Amino acid sequence: MAYMSMGEAHRRITEFLNRFSEAVFSQDGPSLKPLLAVSSNSANLLSLADALRVFQDASRLIKQSDKYSQLGEIIVPLLRSFQSSRIGHVVDAYNAFEKSANAFLQEFRNWESAWAMEPVYTIAYEIRVLAERADRELASMGKNPEKLKGAGSFLMKVFGALAGKGPKRVGALYVTCQLFKVYFKLGTVHLCRSVIRSIETAKIFDFEEFPMRDKVTYMYYTGRLEVFNENFLAADQKLTYALMHCNPRSEGNIRMILKYLIPVKLSIGILPKMWLLEKYNLVEYSDVVKALKRGDLRLLRHALQEHEDQFLRSGVYLVLEKLELQVYQRLVKKIYIIQKQRDPSKAHQVKLEVIVKALKWLEMDKDVDEVECIMAILIYKNLMKGYFAHKSKVVVLSKQDPFPKLNGNPVNS
Amino acid sequence: MATESKAATEDAKIDLFEDDDEFEEFEIDEEWDDKEEGKEAMQQWEDEWDDDDVNDDFSVQLKRELESNVEKS
Repeated sequence: MAYMSMGEAHRRITEFLNRFSEAVFSQDGPSLKPLLAVSSNSANLLSLADALRVFQDASRLIKQSDKYSQLGEIIVPLLRSFQSSRIGHVVDAYNAFEKSANAFLQEFRNWESAWAMEPVYTIAYEIRVLAERADRELASMGKNPEKLKGAGSFLMKVFGALAGKGPKRVGALYVTCQLFKVYFKLGTVHLCRSVIRSIETAKIFDFEEFPMRDKVTYMYYTGRLEVFNENFLAADQKLTYALMHCNPRSEGNIRMILKYLIPVKLSIGILPKMWLLEKYNLVEYSDVVKALKRGDLRLLRHALQEHEDQFLRSGVYLVLEKLELQVYQRLVKKIYIIQKQRDPSKAHQVKLEVIVKALKWLEMDKDVDEVECIMAILIYKNLMKGYFAHKSKVVVLSKQDPFPKLNGNPVNS
Repeated sequence: MATESKAATEDAKIDLFEDDDEFEEFEIDEEWDDKEEGKEAMQQWEDEWDDDDVNDDFSVQLKRELESNVEKS
């Protein structure tokens, strides 16, 4: 680091203080915003941190001046955060930032207009990111990582400050999405419920008024929650919304949406084209899709095994496993069609033995009783229409539409 | 060894902090063309795949397998 003189340090600090107070007093949100972005490591902030180390008495400077002292409770800890961050003391950086953020929030409540919305977005983002860094450090030291949880509490306070009738309410969805990211990271997704309820039922919010970028993010996360809860129709609706309105250049985000949307679509009988899987590198689904198309139970099992870790991590394993019934449907349908080609008059009677044989070929050892049970389930779930001639061990299929399509509905539960 | 077990704990704990699929932040002012977007991705689905065609390899092999028993018995 090049040597910085005391005078130069003093100048840089004063410059920062001036910019900060100017921005606040002229209610200039866009100018204030970058002055809060600790994690951005911008050149300005880094050199400010260096200046603070050289000129060590910035707090006195602040308290002595009328111009800055009003904002002292915000600025003093903020400067500490810059300093700590600069030297890699990430836990201190978080603690200091949290203090500053709380002081900022208090002032924010008093400002009637929404001029400071962008700085609030920055604070919401920073508190989460700094908390994540701090928790990683705490965990690596064998200590309890509790900062992200604290950030979550702070974000709830911010949400509260935005949940009113005035113009500030437009920021509530952004804060909600930061909360989602916190809860998903902590694995405490049940906590999403209360913000979701506020957003969706409170009369002050009109979903359509929120910025599109926040709506897309919101639908992605709530769509994922619907997948966890196996509400496939709702999941389809939300994830499709996210897909439809996502910035087409955000390929990473589109990929993530598809990662969850594809299992949902499969559950309602709609298949993605291979082109889509290849373009967005979701080829772990390609064998699943093939298995459904073919009626190939062996391929489905193989696909689930091969990508088990991935599917478990994203939480879609069970959704994909349940596709087995649809694959059975397809297989029996093929057997029926093959029989129809050979002898149309007898095709609607399918011997269980024949199915046992087909399953054996697919390396699935099931006896007649087990197959009977599976056929019964297919009929019960309306994947197959017909009845059972138990004594003769034959499935008698309905002559009309024996294998009803899902038509965009999930399998009956 | 002390260092090994420490590393293992770190890994286990770091695992806790993973949501592999965290949505990337959009820029605050980010806007995009609402008309063209997603159109491509929206058209890449098929619902008419459940046809009666049994000429694919799998179906041909299945047919062969089923018929082989008929001959035996």
